[in-house]
Amino acid sequence: MINLRAPPGTGVTDATDTETTDAGPSAGAGPTPADDEPVVDLADVTKTYDGAVAVEALSNVSLSLVPGSYTAIMGPSGSGKSTLLNLVGGLDTPTEGTVRIDGQDIAALSDAERARARGRTVGFVFQTFNLMPRLTAVENVALPLVFQGVDRGERRERAADLLSRVGLGDRLDHRPSELSGGQRQRVAIARALAADPALLLADEPTGNVDTETGAQIMDLFAELHAAGNTILLVTHERRIAEHAERIVHFRDGVIEDVEDL
Amino acid sequence: MDLSETLRISVRSLRSHRLRAALTVIGIVIGIAAVVTFATFGASLKADVVSEIEGSSANEVYLVASEADEGGGFGGAGQPVFTEYDLSQLRALEGVQRVVPRGIVPVSAVAHDNETIAQRQVTATNATAFETATFESGRAFENGANEAVVNRPAARLFPGNLTTGDELTVTRSSGEQFAVTVVGVVNGTGGQLPFSSFTDQPRVFVPADPYYQSVVESPNAVSNQRVYSQVTVVTDPADTTATQQRVREYFASPRSDAAQLVPDGYEVAARTNADLVDSIERIVTRLTRFVTGIAVIALIVGAVGIANIMLVSVTERTREIGIMKAVGARSRDVMALFLSEAVLLGALGALIGVPLGIAGGWVATRYAEIPLELAPGWFAAAVTVGVLTGVVAGLYPAWRAARVDPIDALRYE
Repeated sequence: MINLRAPPGTGVTDATDTETTDAGPSAGAGPTPADDEPVVDLADVTKTYDGAVAVEALSNVSLSLVPGSYTAIMGPSGSGKSTLLNLVGGLDTPTEGTVRIDGQDIAALSDAERARARGRTVGFVFQTFNLMPRLTAVENVALPLVFQGVDRGERRERAADLLSRVGLGDRLDHRPSELSGGQRQRVAIARALAADPALLLADEPTGNVDTETGAQIMDLFAELHAAGNTILLVTHERRIAEHAERIVHFRDGVIEDVEDL
Repeated sequence: MDLSETLRISVRSLRSHRLRAALTVIGIVIGIAAVVTFATFGASLKADVVSEIEGSSANEVYLVASEADEGGGFGGAGQPVFTEYDLSQLRALEGVQRVVPRGIVPVSAVAHDNETIAQRQVTATNATAFETATFESGRAFENGANEAVVNRPAARLFPGNLTTGDELTVTRSSGEQFAVTVVGVVNGTGGQLPFSSFTDQPRVFVPADPYYQSVVESPNAVSNQRVYSQVTVVTDPADTTATQQRVREYFASPRSDAAQLVPDGYEVAARTNADLVDSIERIVTRLTRFVTGIAVIALIVGAVGIANIMLVSVTERTREIGIMKAVGARSRDVMALFLSEAVLLGALGALIGVPLGIAGGWVATRYAEIPLELAPGWFAAAVTVGVLTGVVAGLYPAWRAARVDPIDALRYE
């Protein structure tokens, strides 16, 4: 069982109504584990992709994310960023070493358990937003809760609340095609928060929006961090990475440098 | 994710591709409607034929010498093998009430006053052929008398209708003529053929004695005797089955003339109405199954349509599948979503196809001028088949969807 913990004040602004909006198995009022237990813990992780030529995407990588931390991963393409993201997000399992998310070894879980754990523990924010095109904003935000078995009324309430926190309270029933890039990314961020996950995982979240909108998105992440969320940000832009507390530089599948800001 | 949620999402995704869904459903609709149409028509046909036969008495055994392998050897196609000797032996059997022979007297015309009607045959039988209740007027002829009984359709052939006392002049095909007096008009007869519609044809009945001239030497009686092609044995209603068995045994033994007279490859069949109903039901059922089987091909084509469109849908929605998996959908959730879409298409096709098929069956029965008989079992089967078609057609696409790797899917453009 994965210990689902809500960082104090999941919301962007004020956390006064967290109790009422927290849904289903992710009891928002649950006890916060000790700060020394990392949200994500990679120990000597190696990931090799089999093919005509075996490619070692990660070599003996160890990395911990403590609760409430804000970490940026930087590196050129092919440096292992994406592989790391897939492992931390529970989409993939390591070839060697262990990946613990919220204390749970993901390699020990079945595919179905991993899917469930992913939905509860990790909130994804993608470069290309990855919203469901036929669902409205509020339905997109509520989607993770569908798979958690939260009932409709509760889902909508929670989703609407999250959307208003990211400034889209007046766009609940708009479809992604009716929203601007920045608005779409804010919907995606609200969706990432829906299940009250232990970790927010952002992959180039500003890659598909203009500079000004990108700045607004980064401000939003700053607010989320301030509210206690644990954030892992993957980017290749130093300007974006500098929003984090520390930058982990990857090159050729290994950690080249860890830079505290 | 529970079932209602799965269905809700599936309905939404179908509604977002209305035209595509509608076209796919049409394939199933045609298949199901075709199956139901043929099943309904078959059921109607069977019910109609059976009700015709069951209109006749249940305690009659029809004897006819027909080809051994022919399923239904009834009608007029029998060989003349039943001699007077056989008839008297039959009359002596336990449980036999009456024995009514029928022979064909080939004629060229029947005339009354100055009105001559062309006619191919008159029926030679004996007085016991007629039941009192069937007489509209008059009485049965007497054996050996120059008398005739006509049925109502025959009476209507002549202007002013034939009535008792009218004189008929019958011209044999040989040209020879004889005169008979109409003594009775019947509306249907006892001891007639099983199909009541057959008795709707104009018929003139004359006594076999003296007018029936087909004779053969009886092997048992060793004398020339009249020989008939059809015989109806009227049995004690409480003892029909046993009497039928005794009649069969009689004809199986060389004690009977028929057994010796019957040509090679022919056999004497002794059937009751129940036997006829059985064999007709078998024929109609076989026919219905065959035609319905052809209709199933349409259903298979419909299923291929569903499978095809679901595969397209999986490819199109690869990215969506990836998103769902990233936010916590298990493979089986994805599978359930796609499978339920396919099942919805199949079920929708069945729900539309069944009423359409009933309508088709109705049109077919109107055309064939038989009463509509519904086959509810087939409707339930059709809906089940529709749903199963959806399952079968959706299984592979759904499995493909479930296997989508979210990492690849999220990168998919």
